Amino acid sequence: MNLEIGSFAVRDVEFGARTALRDGILSVDRRALIAHLLEDPSLAEVNVEIARPGDSTRIIHILESAEPRIKVSGARDFPGLLSPPDLAGSGRTHRLESVAVLGTANIPGAADSQGLKEAIVDMSGPGARYHPFAGTVNVVLELTVQAGLSGTEAIAACRRAGLRAAVFLAGTTRELAPDSVESFALAPVDPALPRVAYVMPVMSEGEIHTTFFYGRSVQSLPALVHPNEVLDGALVSADYWIGCHRSPTYLYQNEPVIRALYRGHGAELNFVGVLLCRCLITSQDEKWRQANQAAKVCQMLGIQGAVITMSNGGHAYVDQMLLCQKLEQAGVATVLGVDEYADADGSDFPLVTHVPEATAIVSMGNQEEIVKWPAVERVLGGSEFLAGNAYEQGFQRRPSEPLTVALRQVYCATNQLGWSTLRSRAY
Amino acid sequence: MGSVRVAHYVNQFFGGLGGEEKADAMPELRPGPVGPGALLQQLLGTEARIVGTVFCGDNRMVEHEADTLPAVVALLRDLAPDLVVAGPAFNAGRYGLACAAVCAAARRELGVPALTAMFSENPGREAADRSVLVAVAGSTAATMKPDLERVAHLALKTLRGESLGPADVEGYFPTGRRVNEFGTETGAERMVQMLLRKLRKETYVSELIVPPFDHVPPAPPVSDLARTTLGIVTTSGVVRTGNPEGIESWRATKWARYPLAGVDALSPDAFTCVHGGYDNRYIRANPHRAVPLDVLRRYTRDGRVGRLHEVLYSTVGNVMPVERARRLGREVAQELRDAGVQAVLLTAT
Repeated sequence: MNLEIGSFAVRDVEFGARTALRDGILSVDRRALIAHLLEDPSLAEVNVEIARPGDSTRIIHILESAEPRIKVSGARDFPGLLSPPDLAGSGRTHRLESVAVLGTANIPGAADSQGLKEAIVDMSGPGARYHPFAGTVNVVLELTVQAGLSGTEAIAACRRAGLRAAVFLAGTTRELAPDSVESFALAPVDPALPRVAYVMPVMSEGEIHTTFFYGRSVQSLPALVHPNEVLDGALVSADYWIGCHRSPTYLYQNEPVIRALYRGHGAELNFVGVLLCRCLITSQDEKWRQANQAAKVCQMLGIQGAVITMSNGGHAYVDQMLLCQKLEQAGVATVLGVDEYADADGSDFPLVTHVPEATAIVSMGNQEEIVKWPAVERVLGGSEFLAGNAYEQGFQRRPSEPLTVALRQVYCATNQLGWSTLRSRAY
Repeated sequence: MGSVRVAHYVNQFFGGLGGEEKADAMPELRPGPVGPGALLQQLLGTEARIVGTVFCGDNRMVEHEADTLPAVVALLRDLAPDLVVAGPAFNAGRYGLACAAVCAAARRELGVPALTAMFSENPGREAADRSVLVAVAGSTAATMKPDLERVAHLALKTLRGESLGPADVEGYFPTGRRVNEFGTETGAERMVQMLLRKLRKETYVSELIVPPFDHVPPAPPVSDLARTTLGIVTTSGVVRTGNPEGIESWRATKWARYPLAGVDALSPDAFTCVHGGYDNRYIRANPHRAVPLDVLRRYTRDGRVGRLHEVLYSTVGNVMPVERARRLGREVAQELRDAGVQAVLLTAT
């Protein structure tokens, strides 16, 4: 499986008479993009805004993020969701580098205990360090769904809009030559190098929060996946739960662990593949079954070491820790990526659970830390914070006002795929 | 010579009194530095002065702490220290326990900072409470010089009122506080590098050392359920419809008390579920899946359960800080005890 990703460096995005990429400037015909998205009968209203690095802009209610991509050859776009489930990960893909589509919506009634949670980013100031979208020019979709849709249908419409906008924008590159091309293939390497797998449990809890693999919710029977499939649109996030440890589609398209393992492939390690697993499995039997099956597959593949991440939190730690335990017992060395619940002052026990085998852990930070950000000139995505947990005193203020909030509300701040340099250290 | 005063505590061996045969030695004070204190004084330079050394036999301190510790504290008090240093205790278990006790007492009773040093596996480490700074030391006195350098560094920083950096950088054992900061490598890079070091059997430092969980021993079985008053407590998040108490869907801060007298079953109209940690549709559709009141009523009627305590206690057990969980648990347990409840059905999700 050989994937070529051609990158187009984009310096800025602006609204214009037609949608085209010229000299690093992406011009967007706003009306055409809105009309394109409104072809989806589930959407009632669409507005499009641009948020640039350094803007005094706060974006709230973020549901989706995706990098503009288009398949030029090898498969169709976002297979299983926007097109039939072609095998992703081969052929050529074009991407708009430094651009992201951020889908936002306020879905009435969806903010109950199983519903949507807030997710915030600031484009400038101290908050800009905490999320992946401060260095990208963001095409922000403000979406309103038709009345009468179920929460699940409404969110699905928003997800489709984000992906369709990503394809629409990248469509400008179809006939153009990219500025640079990267190739991804698991070429045979020195057999003496350690055989390494990426064990990747992704969020799938229920009818609202899940992760799609070729359009189907990820199951708790581990699947051996080529890393190119993850990079090339086979994996799409539908996680709308706690904002700080969501793994959005944008981060799957630029998956940091896969990138790091590819860099080491052939030099320091032999990257065998991705074992796609599920976290937030709702039954204990299934948690055990998955961990046992994952360890078995690793043994059958002769895996010597594995990075095990996780997604979102709560009992996702149970899934991750069981995977760690069963893999270690099967002779596979593991390293875990976690984020922490150490309370606002950093004093609480930081994990939901753990096993004695978890002796190599990388921390992506304490999500309970309180951050204070200044007022902003512009708010996109909504006019009030989602009515959520009474725990968030800061949400009683207007979103444009100075914000005091736990990192947990900051989009991707402590995401366990490890895109960030944020970490929590022992004092 | 600096006016900042340091008092040093050592055991009978490092005090020059003798080995195991002198382990019963009574507390004693000598002016100025003694034993390892001489090197420590050199390392402290002119900024701080070891004004006196208290030493005591390890057995005396550990086996007769109730009498001995106050005597040691009294001797330390006479020195009017700004800082108390104890050890290093290396891997000497009784010495480590003594150092931990002396430092904690100095904090508590003299109100001054206290610092000790010992090997990671010394039982004194576990004994030291979080107010006591414990420097990392080797297992034997072979590492005396680097260990005392670490002690001097931490002592001077403490005396200057400077805040300490991360534990692994400054050379002390974590005190249980986690602090966020930005580094230079991404988490993904750090995970892959740590894995490679682990695979090559090289040393690596986990960014999180998991302490052991408290172990709660299971209560003995209920001997005769038919003669027992049974309570129901749940962390499943089953609440009255409308959630009048406003129990949070995660990191809950409170619990609710619902009278059950006259309630035969939990109907999905009267009760719902606000737990945010699992797909709670099934419990909202039938709250008995989390709180089996229907079965308990039947068992009470047919005599299998003696009596039901007519109150349901409920909260949301979703990523609740451990300390808060302890507090809520104590509060509910007190009510149950006051009501004469003898056993509890505790349902979680």
